[in-house]
Amino acid sequence: MRLIFKNLNILRSIINAISTGMASEVKGIVESAGSSLLNLFDFSVFGVLWKEGPVLHLFQEESCPPSLTQEVVKNMIRVFSTLEEKPIEIERVTLQVEKRRLRPNQMMMDPQATLKSYLTLPLAVEGEIIGCISINSDQPNAFDAQDLQFFSVIGYQMAATLKHFQRFSSVKKEAIYDTLTSLFNRRYFEEKLVVDAQKAFHSSSNLSIIMVDIDHFKKVNDTFGHAGGDKVLHEIASLLKNSVRRQDDTVARYGGEEFVLVLPGVPLEATSTIAERIRQSVANTAIDIGQSQIHLTISLGISNFPIHRAKSKEELVKMADLALYEAKRGGRNRVCIFGSGQG
Amino acid sequence: MAQAVKESKEEKFSSDRVLDLYANLTMEIWEIVSALIGEAILSFLFALAIRKIGEKYPFLNSLKVSEEGISSDEVRKDCRKMAPLEIHRGFQSLINQLSHLFSALTEGVINKELFPKVLPKVREADRMISQK
Repeated sequence: MRLIFKNLNILRSIINAISTGMASEVKGIVESAGSSLLNLFDFSVFGVLWKEGPVLHLFQEESCPPSLTQEVVKNMIRVFSTLEEKPIEIERVTLQVEKRRLRPNQMMMDPQATLKSYLTLPLAVEGEIIGCISINSDQPNAFDAQDLQFFSVIGYQMAATLKHFQRFSSVKKEAIYDTLTSLFNRRYFEEKLVVDAQKAFHSSSNLSIIMVDIDHFKKVNDTFGHAGGDKVLHEIASLLKNSVRRQDDTVARYGGEEFVLVLPGVPLEATSTIAERIRQSVANTAIDIGQSQIHLTISLGISNFPIHRAKSKEELVKMADLALYEAKRGGRNRVCIFGSGQG
Repeated sequence: MAQAVKESKEEKFSSDRVLDLYANLTMEIWEIVSALIGEAILSFLFALAIRKIGEKYPFLNSLKVSEEGISSDEVRKDCRKMAPLEIHRGFQSLINQLSHLFSALTEGVINKELFPKVLPKVREADRMISQK
């Protein structure tokens, strides 16, 4: 009886660790749950596969051989595929491994150790599967019915927490992304610009802005209707998105057929090269609309801090906008740098 | 004519008996396994198994599964017109599929608890069918 009470207390602390980790990242929840699980189970690898991504978080003994890790990965993906009734390609799964010393030094794992036993449970909420949770051991018959009972309680808490995450990230996504183009929306752009401008103005580092506008977009809408116009916006947004690779760069829909790129730390010359590359890429791309194929061009305006001596982020944006206006006035399909008249 | 009526009654009686047996059995599976993994996970697994086996035995799609449990009431209406052997085969496939899922998830942990209680009843159904 005393043992059951002890285990229930441990279980309570695990549930607490999972639910209080809600404000942080999934990785954090897996780590705190994994650390507490040690008091309840003797395991080599604890895994949480989350469908979104999909991402497989593993919390494992430091001396766990890579071959066993791979076995666990394959097994979890196999079980999840069975539950989801469709196969998941292992290459699609992002693996995040957290190694910890879970056993005393004298009990280091055998480098030849293999997966001998496991418990895996679906993370099921409201009839929907959002992932699975698994404990794995290099020892045969490591888990019994009571372990399964405890582990299922942990699974329920994990499912509820991840579902909360899923909802939260979906709301967050809707708040920052433009639904048509999947680019960031103007609201996100403005929030991000506050941060980027603060950094740049404080440290006198480069901050470049490229304003982009599709030439003669009205004609597209008039000829192909709004569905055709939406297709063009989507295609050009993809080209813009693929034109920047750094995580810190922001590509956003500014409004209508206008887009904006914020490039922190990028000097004016490099910005100009990027803008020219984008212009050419759009001009050389044929866009399919229904049975037709059309070629479109864009105009681009650039501003840079500190070169253009903007006093505020608003002024920097306005400078890029004025440069865009110059590009339009100069005949479209061109890049203009603020203050230089033409690119 | 009288003979035909008698046969039909026997068939109904037998179908009802087989269904009773499996309705009790699925409820027993529910009791045992829900104590191990909880109702939400179990109802998910039952629904998964029914979806899969229901392709071959559509009458199983009338089984109602929720976190409150499993109900065979709807199945009973359909099964009255069915041969006992068909009912037996359908439920047997469902139990096999569940057992396969339990095994994929927990290796032998669930099945070890389940088999001693479930297997005698499956054998009883086998006997009932073969006697007929």
